[in-house]
Amino acid sequence: MSAELSIRNLTAGYGAQVVLRDLSLEITEGTLAALIGPNGHGKTTLLRAISGLVPITAGQITLAGTRIDPLRPDAIVASGIVHVPQGDLLFPDMTVLENLRMGSYLPAAARLEKQRLEEVFSLLPKLRDRQQQTASTLSGGERRMVGIGRGLMTSGRILMLDEPSLGLAPIIIDQIYDVIDTLRGSGRTVILVEENAMRAADIADEVHLLDHGSIAWHGKGSEMSGRPELLETYLGS
Amino acid sequence: MTARQRDITLCLLFSGLAALLPLVSDVRYTVTQTTFFFIWATVVVQWNLVFGIGGIFSLAQMALFAIGAYTTAMLGYYFGTSMILAMPIGALLAVLFSVALGLACLKLRGPYVALLTLCVAQVLYLTIVNDTDCFTNPPSGCMPLMGGVRGFSRFGDLGFRELLGSGFYVGRYYVGLAILTVAMIVSIIVIRSPMGLAFQALRDNPVYAAARGMDRFKYQLWIFGLSAFFTGLAGSFYAVNTGAVGPVVFSFSHLLFLLSMIIVGGVGTIWGPIVGALLLMFAEEAMRELGDMRDIGMGLILVVCVVLMPRGIVGLFEDLVRWRTARTAQAVPLPRRETV
Amino acid sequence: MDTILQILASGLTLGAMYAISTAGLALVFGAMNMLNMSHGAILALGGYLSYFAVGGMGLPAPVGVVFAVLVCAAVGVLIYQIVARPMLRSANFETRIFIATIGVGVILESIILETFGPQPKPQPVSMPGSLTLAGVHLPYQNLMILGIAMLLMAALGFALQKTRIGRAIRATAQNRDAAQLMGVPIGYVYALVLAISGGLAAVSGITISSLSSLLPNMGADPMLKAFIICVVAGLGSLPGSVMAALFIGVLEAIVQYVFGVRFSFALLLILVIIVLIGRPQGVFGRVQGVRL
Repeated sequence: MSAELSIRNLTAGYGAQVVLRDLSLEITEGTLAALIGPNGHGKTTLLRAISGLVPITAGQITLAGTRIDPLRPDAIVASGIVHVPQGDLLFPDMTVLENLRMGSYLPAAARLEKQRLEEVFSLLPKLRDRQQQTASTLSGGERRMVGIGRGLMTSGRILMLDEPSLGLAPIIIDQIYDVIDTLRGSGRTVILVEENAMRAADIADEVHLLDHGSIAWHGKGSEMSGRPELLETYLGS
Repeated sequence: MTARQRDITLCLLFSGLAALLPLVSDVRYTVTQTTFFFIWATVVVQWNLVFGIGGIFSLAQMALFAIGAYTTAMLGYYFGTSMILAMPIGALLAVLFSVALGLACLKLRGPYVALLTLCVAQVLYLTIVNDTDCFTNPPSGCMPLMGGVRGFSRFGDLGFRELLGSGFYVGRYYVGLAILTVAMIVSIIVIRSPMGLAFQALRDNPVYAAARGMDRFKYQLWIFGLSAFFTGLAGSFYAVNTGAVGPVVFSFSHLLFLLSMIIVGGVGTIWGPIVGALLLMFAEEAMRELGDMRDIGMGLILVVCVVLMPRGIVGLFEDLVRWRTARTAQAVPLPRRETV
Repeated sequence: MDTILQILASGLTLGAMYAISTAGLALVFGAMNMLNMSHGAILALGGYLSYFAVGGMGLPAPVGVVFAVLVCAAVGVLIYQIVARPMLRSANFETRIFIATIGVGVILESIILETFGPQPKPQPVSMPGSLTLAGVHLPYQNLMILGIAMLLMAALGFALQKTRIGRAIRATAQNRDAAQLMGVPIGYVYALVLAISGGLAAVSGITISSLSSLLPNMGADPMLKAFIICVVAGLGSLPGSVMAALFIGVLEAIVQYVFGVRFSFALLLILVIIVLIGRPQGVFGRVQGVRL
């Protein structure tokens, strides 16, 4: 198994404020990797740095051996990394269908639009009924589903989900996790950022623990549950 | 010595030096141009409080200036009011107007404030220019209430002509210097006060400031009123100094000239507006020969400064000082890629 | 009755002209939060370029119009590349771009003044003649302006709703980060939006000068009116802007008839001030977000 996404000595942040320091990380192809760690220690910044929304000051990011860190965000998406951002970031005045179709904006994805739309609707049946509804009028859970559905419409080989369960009712979280679980078999690599460390470790093949802007520990998801001291040290729970 | 004491001392030192100018130079042009510099510097120092510290991008400053100028001129023209009395009345009227404007627009978002204040200034301008009904009929011809396109002249002066004879302009020089010095000290006090610091916190981090329970609206209104006083006073003095007031004070190129001073010098810095006013008055002097090309030069200066040095010359200087002192510490590297 | 129809006809022509110049302004503000203060100067440039091409070079009118539109579109792209792009990500972009484009406007206007001089010039692109319908006097030029405005607005609306790049523009306007994450090259979108806006300004400048005459500062008034319309409609709302443009045009015609030309502009400005104070987000606008 080869490392599909490889990050070496990454330093990034907002202006003078450095958030990620000398961070290195490898994600294996076809796996579900969980990125956990306390709030404000750089999980979201890491995803935004990978997808090009945050400037990088040092280090390299390579996708299947090709460097992507000098690229602009749209070129990074075209190279196959898709970021489903925290807080959904839908297009509020577009309908659900228009939002989903924005996922297949790039030519490579546009060719498969009809087929993917069917896949998304079968995975998230609620969206089929809400197709013509304006995104700003959806409930929190529905918005999250549109966000994930929009990510699935892309041709991304790597799907990065930023806190997909944040602020949702437990029953909706279960539904979202069911969807993530089915992604595992789809051949896509999934990077899951989670506040809820146990839940993520439960589902993930590999767990990376982010602390103070760099990776403090990584291992199999099953090892995580056997090492409660990690949670205590880094997550204070 | 605190930063505030240091800045006030510096300000008084500069004023003292400026006070020597008429003693060493008997070139009338130099002295009168410097008097104009005092007027424009007063306007931009106070505009900087509104824009750079209060964070309100108001374009009504020249309208406030005009209110001061017109009030003074009209009081003198219609009632023969002494200029010494008319000037502060003009300033106070500008304050009233500014506070009313603040109540109307300070809850709006940034660009809307700019548009609204620009509209208000334009309404005043158009009302004056389009009014052609004669209010009085002096020998010189029809005179509308607000002076119309022609404006007012011969409404009185500060009496320096009787006092100093042909050297009357020197008297005005010292009045201008005094106004600027007071306006500058007030500006320093505001910027270095807890309120000013809180405003800078607000500008840099609105969430933090909100969490500290800052009543943004109240403070903004305060700054709006305070700066209007000096802006109106500068307008009143402008009327007395030039001996004429017309709608030209509303002109867009004038507004642009003053805005450029703040931008070039450094928005939100203590010394920026003064430095900018000085530089642009020299630049204008240098480009006087160029005729219409002068406007191209002014436009270029403005664009280049906004794009390349958003904190102006003084901001650039401060960054340089900080960089030199922090060189041993960790320097901030430049980002390697563009996100757009 | 005839008078009312006549007022309505001239009001709609005014409104149609305003709609063309406002659409570009609203598009740029909606897509990138940029109040383009050089819009008026670009508008004047468009009028003069058509004068130069048709009157000076003797080119056919349609060629002259296309030439003016293309050059103004290019100016829009240049403004993006040189002025807007370096400051896009800065915290106070809205204020900085406002000030910087004031400077750009002054430069463009001075260049026009230097090149063509301060005397008013006639706009060669116009259509003489008129027809009288139900007692209403309708110059062909006014009818053509109405027709062009309707055509342009319909084309713009269609492009935004139905084409791929139109969807990209709307997506960028509604959520810049999300649009980038979908692979939309937003730099390209911004350049395009400024190009469209520039082209529309050129058309607007040609139509406005065809009813009056060319002057270097002829753009100032239409630009301020376009801002007023944008504000009344809610900044960035394109359909709202077109409706507000027609409304303001008719209102202006009525005000001019009742109160005279002198005070029409001042009264309009007072209207904006009232709208802004009473409904800061505009009549069609929302408190947050934009609509394209």
